[in-house]
Amino acid sequence: MWQLRRPKRIRTRLTLYYVGMLAGVLALYFAGVSLLLFWQASNVLKRLAAEDLETVKGLLYYDDDGHVDVREDYHHHSDWKQVQERLLEILALDGTILYRNERLGDRTIGGAPFRGEGVHGYSGRTAKMSDGTKIILISRQYDLGGQTILIRVGYSQDLIWNELRGTLLVLILASPLILAGAAYAVYATVGRALEPVSKMAHRAQFIDSERLNERLPVESEEGELGYLAGVFNAMLSRIEQSFEQLKRFTADASHELRTPLAAIRSIGEVALQENATPDEYRDTIGSMLEEVNRLTTIVESLLTLSRADAGQINLQVSVFPLAALVRESAALLQILIDDKQLTFTLAGDESIGAQADRLYIRQAVVNILHNAVKFTPAGGSISARIQCVGASRVELSIADTGPGIPPERSARVFERFVRLDEARTPADSGAGLGLSVAKWAVQANNGEIGVASAVGSGSRFWIRLPAVGCSSLRLES
Amino acid sequence: MRLLIVEDEEKMARALRTGLEAEQFSVDVAGTGEEGFFLASTESYDLVILDLMLPSRDGMEVLTALRRKNLSVPVLILTSKDTVEDRVRGLDAGADDYLVKPFAFSELTARIRALLRRGKPEPTDILKLADLEMDAAGRVVSRGGKELSLTAREFDLLEYLLRQPGRVVSREMLARDVWRETARYTPIDNVIDVHIAHLRRKLDEPFARKLLHTVRGVGFVLREESS
Repeated sequence: MWQLRRPKRIRTRLTLYYVGMLAGVLALYFAGVSLLLFWQASNVLKRLAAEDLETVKGLLYYDDDGHVDVREDYHHHSDWKQVQERLLEILALDGTILYRNERLGDRTIGGAPFRGEGVHGYSGRTAKMSDGTKIILISRQYDLGGQTILIRVGYSQDLIWNELRGTLLVLILASPLILAGAAYAVYATVGRALEPVSKMAHRAQFIDSERLNERLPVESEEGELGYLAGVFNAMLSRIEQSFEQLKRFTADASHELRTPLAAIRSIGEVALQENATPDEYRDTIGSMLEEVNRLTTIVESLLTLSRADAGQINLQVSVFPLAALVRESAALLQILIDDKQLTFTLAGDESIGAQADRLYIRQAVVNILHNAVKFTPAGGSISARIQCVGASRVELSIADTGPGIPPERSARVFERFVRLDEARTPADSGAGLGLSVAKWAVQANNGEIGVASAVGSGSRFWIRLPAVGCSSLRLES
Repeated sequence: MRLLIVEDEEKMARALRTGLEAEQFSVDVAGTGEEGFFLASTESYDLVILDLMLPSRDGMEVLTALRRKNLSVPVLILTSKDTVEDRVRGLDAGADDYLVKPFAFSELTARIRALLRRGKPEPTDILKLADLEMDAAGRVVSRGGKELSLTAREFDLLEYLLRQPGRVVSREMLARDVWRETARYTPIDNVIDVHIAHLRRKLDEPFARKLLHTVRGVGFVLREESS
């Protein structure tokens, strides 16, 4: 079966749509105009017919046989000639045909008179003749020598249509021209309106990973297309940003992986160059294995983070008292705290519960605490504090008396491979992934993480998590 | 004790064979899944070490086929697939243990011993090494007749080492079995090192013969030096 295919191009579609609409409107308009003209013409005809009826009435007489006839001497009268153009019928009230003019011949105009036809003035109506021709029919009763007769004059409707044909023909012939003009105008207008789209598309074709700094042209901020271009540009900016991050990450990751690899290689090559005692070999191999362990740790953290990025980690969310978790994490690191003679204190409401995956939050807290222990000089202090922030969040802050982080670095400490202290040897401070893992763990649990720090006055890391037990009734001190 | 190693990577297979033969096991190696299945179903082994990604027949297929034949030989899966789903799938298919590459060799041998020990009576509570004596149930430890005063964690650490005398124990094993940490991350390694240092101070410092040794890059071992 033949099926209408939707055109693909908006321009074609809009044009077709508009032309279709216009054609419909034109058709309705023409129909209305025709009806109006027809109605006016039939009114004119009816008035003419009334005059005709009077003319006929004046010419009627009874001939010698008592038949109704039209005076012969008037047969050449101009009014009569005009009447002969019409269809003329004269009836008695019982339906007997008294007279038919030549034009009517054997046909009848409208059959037996209906009750009251032509009694009060002229009766006008449209009717169908016995042979099917549609006519406009005017009739009136007259008194002719004591007998009541009915005179009917009919006009074929074709007469009117013949009059109107010219007008309609002009209208119908004009419409294709109107439609074509409209189509062209729409096509051109839409084309101009859509021009920014093709410009945008053209520019977008050339934006790839190498040219992410390019942007789509924005003609005006206010238009729909300008808005669209703006939105796309904002999206491009975000993509560019993550791409940059990814590039830096890849560079950092290969650097981090290359460092232990280089060490393994050098250690091995140097050891093979000279004869050594078994103990020396053992030592060489041991130090190679240390590097291998470093590699393993980095790869494992990276795997965790990339799985987290891909959303492949299932969280086991539960409600647990945050204070207990902090205490447990501190207990794990207690020996490091004691060794440096640090003071650890925990303050805050013991009963506040956090709603999160306990294992991952514990890892985050341990990582943050471990950093605090690492960077706080001997004899310093680490103070943890738990408090409600609003009715449904709990904040854990861990403040130390370490050297602090300069502001330009504090924004980046949660990024991967960014170490708090670059001067430290890598083996001492890990791969710079601890805080990245902490950040991911907190954020995956619908929480926030941050740091407030100033050089010389220590750092305060904080995390906020969904809480249970921070009802609005509780007044914060 | 006869072991079968199904592993396609030659270097890995050779290292495993050498290491396990040094532990007094008799070892066969199969390089493909097909060969592994053939050997495991025709010969009699005490344990099978199975890699998952193998040519000709995947490790999971081999395992499933073995279990379908009602062969109950213990199977230890050794693979680099480390997701929880992979572990669950392997254990559900009938594996007895699952170890992820890269692994500490000492952990592999410990797990093999644990699998082979299954169903045997629990080890004794009185542990001895040279002049070191531990009553694990009574939580008392003494060296040379003199009682050592250890913290709870130091005691657990020493007990764990003492139950595997002469065997190297890695930091991963200590983190998992003594500290019961599920995830492995940097802080715990530092914690372990400090505990070892403290334990060494109490256990070895007052005595001429050292028992607790660090094996660089691998872990720690409790043994009497032969010298």
